[in-house]
Amino acid sequence: MKPENLLNLSTQKCTTGCLNLDRFLSGGIPCNSITEIVSESGCGKTQISLQLLLSSQLPISHGGLSSSSLFIHSEYPFPFRRLHQLSLSFLSSNLNVFSSSSSSSSSSYNPLDHIFVRDVQSAEELIGLLAQIDRFIENPPSPLPVRLIVIDSIAALFRSEFDNTPKDLKRRSSLFFKIASMLKLLAKKFNLAVLVTNQVVDSMGNDVVNGMRVGNLGCLYTSGRRVCPALGLSWANCVNSRLFMSRSVEIVGKETDLEEHIGGVRTRRKLQVVFAPHLPDSSCEFVVLREGVFGVSS
Amino acid sequence: MEVCNLPLSPTQRAKLVSAGYTTISSLSSISPLDLARDLSVTQNEAAQILKIALQSTRFDPSINNNNNVGIVTGGQTAWDMLREEQFVTRITTSCEDLDNILGGGINCQEVTEIGGVPGIGKTQLGIQLAVNVQIALECGGLGGKAIYIDTEGSFMVERVFQIAEACIEDLLESRVFQQKDYQACRESMQPQTFLTNIFYFRVCSYTEQIALINYLEKFITENRDVKIVIIDSVTFHFRQDFDDLALRTRVLSGMALKLMKLAKSFSLAVVLLNQVTTKFTEGSFQLTLALGDSWSHACTNRVILYWNGSERFAYLDKSPSLRSASAPYSVTSKGIRVASSHCKKIRMM
Repeated sequence: MKPENLLNLSTQKCTTGCLNLDRFLSGGIPCNSITEIVSESGCGKTQISLQLLLSSQLPISHGGLSSSSLFIHSEYPFPFRRLHQLSLSFLSSNLNVFSSSSSSSSSSYNPLDHIFVRDVQSAEELIGLLAQIDRFIENPPSPLPVRLIVIDSIAALFRSEFDNTPKDLKRRSSLFFKIASMLKLLAKKFNLAVLVTNQVVDSMGNDVVNGMRVGNLGCLYTSGRRVCPALGLSWANCVNSRLFMSRSVEIVGKETDLEEHIGGVRTRRKLQVVFAPHLPDSSCEFVVLREGVFGVSS
Repeated sequence: MEVCNLPLSPTQRAKLVSAGYTTISSLSSISPLDLARDLSVTQNEAAQILKIALQSTRFDPSINNNNNVGIVTGGQTAWDMLREEQFVTRITTSCEDLDNILGGGINCQEVTEIGGVPGIGKTQLGIQLAVNVQIALECGGLGGKAIYIDTEGSFMVERVFQIAEACIEDLLESRVFQQKDYQACRESMQPQTFLTNIFYFRVCSYTEQIALINYLEKFITENRDVKIVIIDSVTFHFRQDFDDLALRTRVLSGMALKLMKLAKSFSLAVVLLNQVTTKFTEGSFQLTLALGDSWSHACTNRVILYWNGSERFAYLDKSPSLRSASAPYSVTSKGIRVASSHCKKIRMM
């Protein structure tokens, strides 16, 4: 057993494909670490995961990982049309990168060739998959190595099957730690970036305010509801960083041309750091456009 | 006998050393007035320092050679131990209020457990301690090295770099230098050096964790200047795959014993970071530190970090010699610091 030299151990980051978001995340999603994005449905967590699948293919000089990626989804259906749409705009905005790096096959470079998709329907299935995924990562069916795993969403695997009894809760939290430790082992072994998404549950009562409070923010609000991340305290112990996405609807007077201003109503979306070892307590507004998710510089 | 072994505050020690008083004998024939002038402190404070120095000359075995023979080899009288305890060094947390409730900082020779909810700043405190243990002797630190055992993967080198930079900045600010000294000091303190003095181990399973802790004794024998061992967190790998809880308890208490032995025999601080969990008692769920009731015997000191409103607080839950108290602290870009609202009062409970 030898200690690792910290001077050669700087954390690589995977760009989100947007400069403002990268600045907010100090470079992107860190490798060798589990990052969680929590939000209610329709905030954009799947959007940002899809975008990450594409931006991880960028060469390291452009902030990417020059990697292919694995997308494990538990929510149906897989949004392949949206991914295709994103991939077209990804290609057109990074035309110079992909034409110069692989000059011979520039016309045939298709980002979708480097994204592997798999569905899982239960926690046991996910564990089974993670247990034998080594072989796949070592010999991926793509010239690019796998450096990114996205799980969308972890909550869907646990929300139906378990009762609210002490026995079931104990079994559930044991599964959390099992999954987290497998993911962390993989992340360490192959220097992977791991992104998981999580849902929210409404929070009631005031026990949440101090005792159960997790992270920097006193309360999380989205669409005017007070919420907290699903899966409780034990799962919160399993992730390294937690980001929270929220949205709020604002009535603006007149209609404008922007896609986000439909019917005189504007949706404001915000990404916040709940906790992360390397990020201060901060937040960043973002918009979801046809071309992807973009941070708004304040 | 060195001045840095005296039970004085770090600033006083630093002042003594920089004024040229390095040994206790150099203090033996000086008047409080002269000392006050040399250190630019009040006469009262100088008298206090001399009094402490005088007491320790009396304790110094090389001067006062009373024949204390242990009943069994290795045995000590309580008086001896009390005498030794005065020279136990402490590692500052960089937050004055937190140091106060801990009796000056994290104690060497003891196992301290620190627990709290995710995002409260456990890892930040761990990194801060790994940096602070390296503060040089002449600045009132220990000048030691750190072992950081990471079981969760939350250790980020960029963050260590930030905290080390801020620590250097603060050290340079707090000392008055001549121009030349300043340059020399600036060059000797580089964030890179701070990074190389942290021995970082990443463990991915509980078997690895136990193996590493068994190996630590050998490692520390080869690296005697290690003054702190931080495990972040001790819990993570023990919360899965253990159906046999009796086995878990045995494994954990074996580990705790080894760590206590390390702390004693190498005179280093052991800091265990722990997670919290909910416990079902009398019909309601309560928050407690993980790993169960038997584990709570494993540590000498126990500190619980919690939220109070929008402020972070630390509560000293268990300590053999200090009373329970809580103090606010904050996590800033520079690391752990005094709470921003700066409420000086510490609630005693």
